[in-house]
Amino acid sequence: MESKKPLRSAFVDDYVVPGDVVLDLADMTNQTIKLGAGLRQDCDTIQVTSAGRLRLSKPNKYWVENSQKRYIPSVEDTVLGIVVDTKPDNFLVDIKGPSVAFLPVLSFEGGTRRNIPKFEIGTLIYARVVKANSIMNPELSCMDAIGKAAEFGQLKNGYTFETSTGLARMLLSSPTCPLLEALGKKLSFEIAVGLNGRVWVNAPSPSNVILVSEAIKQSESFNRIQQRSMVEKLLAKLA
Amino acid sequence: MAATAMEHDGGGGAEVVTPGELLGASSSLAAGRGAYADGHSVRASVTGRRRILPPTPGSSDQRSTVEVVGHKAHGAVPQPGSVVIARVTKVMARMASADIMCVDSKAVKEKFTGMIRQQDVRATEIDKVDMYQSYRPGDIVRALVLSLGDARAYYLSTAKNELGVVSAQSIAGGTLVPTSWTEMQCELTGQIEQRKVAKVE
Repeated sequence: MESKKPLRSAFVDDYVVPGDVVLDLADMTNQTIKLGAGLRQDCDTIQVTSAGRLRLSKPNKYWVENSQKRYIPSVEDTVLGIVVDTKPDNFLVDIKGPSVAFLPVLSFEGGTRRNIPKFEIGTLIYARVVKANSIMNPELSCMDAIGKAAEFGQLKNGYTFETSTGLARMLLSSPTCPLLEALGKKLSFEIAVGLNGRVWVNAPSPSNVILVSEAIKQSESFNRIQQRSMVEKLLAKLA
Repeated sequence: MAATAMEHDGGGGAEVVTPGELLGASSSLAAGRGAYADGHSVRASVTGRRRILPPTPGSSDQRSTVEVVGHKAHGAVPQPGSVVIARVTKVMARMASADIMCVDSKAVKEKFTGMIRQQDVRATEIDKVDMYQSYRPGDIVRALVLSLGDARAYYLSTAKNELGVVSAQSIAGGTLVPTSWTEMQCELTGQIEQRKVAKVE
């Protein structure tokens, strides 16, 4: 398929810190590489700008996977935001990012000037990031790409807590992470996870809500086996 | 006393006048810029240097005109239809703010703010304009003044071929070189960035 094998970084799947040079472009000719989050081109070298693990997605996309309390908005992320203000054209929503995000009042399924939703300050919203860049406030939408509501919108009742972005990504990984799978077999609850590090849990009984929330908060750095054994121990105590 | 005061004046010849100061009699002088006629006298209305202009030939009024120059109100002021050079300060979803630096090749003496609205960025497909792909903070743009706008800013437009970004810096810090009317390339890294570029002859 290709006459030259693309030069692969020696650091793929390793931990890297800001300043590390992961690729030297002087050796490569006529190849494109795509840089994702945490990487920067400095003349002929690719340097790391945030600490984490370097990942490669074939054939040529590199990015740094890291976990932080801060969230940097990026397009097509699903996030949980809290309304902080209303303006004539937008809701101002806090998504734990560097600046407050705008949610246009018409970005709802079947939204017209006559049926604008009334969100009070403090309302929790599940939304999708539509526009995000370094100079403007991010823009959200409560519709998917074709215009349907698709689970986006206000989340009522339940309990919200904050996590790191890495834990949120782990909870959203597919196939379902062992933690949620094991909890779901014994307890009934519903959960919404925002990639910005916010989780919402709702259940018929308050004890279920507390159990699920605490289990998630404890599993910050657990791998699959540790998650499963923690949940088993927890559920055994209840029985 | 008067003689020593004149020596300290800096030797330009013209003397500094302040508002209200008597410039002459209205029978021999007509009031020009920065001066006004008050009964039988002509007085200054701003601070500056006094200057006498000869009477315009062919007009009925044969008086010299006195005017007061050097005040910042007589620096360049943007007027509708003038081409300005401005530096973009803020880019938002539907408009960009810019500080006007020159009007028709003359530098301004005080700060003027201009605003480029989404519909004035370019002439075609104005509802599909993405402000992030047209301007970034720090870009130098050439724009046309549309109107005096509102109390906060003049309305500017870049909807012509020769209007738009004239000079910009890339994310890596290098100078951007125009490659088409929508793209500029960084000279250090070769990365392409999108801008609404001015066609400079």
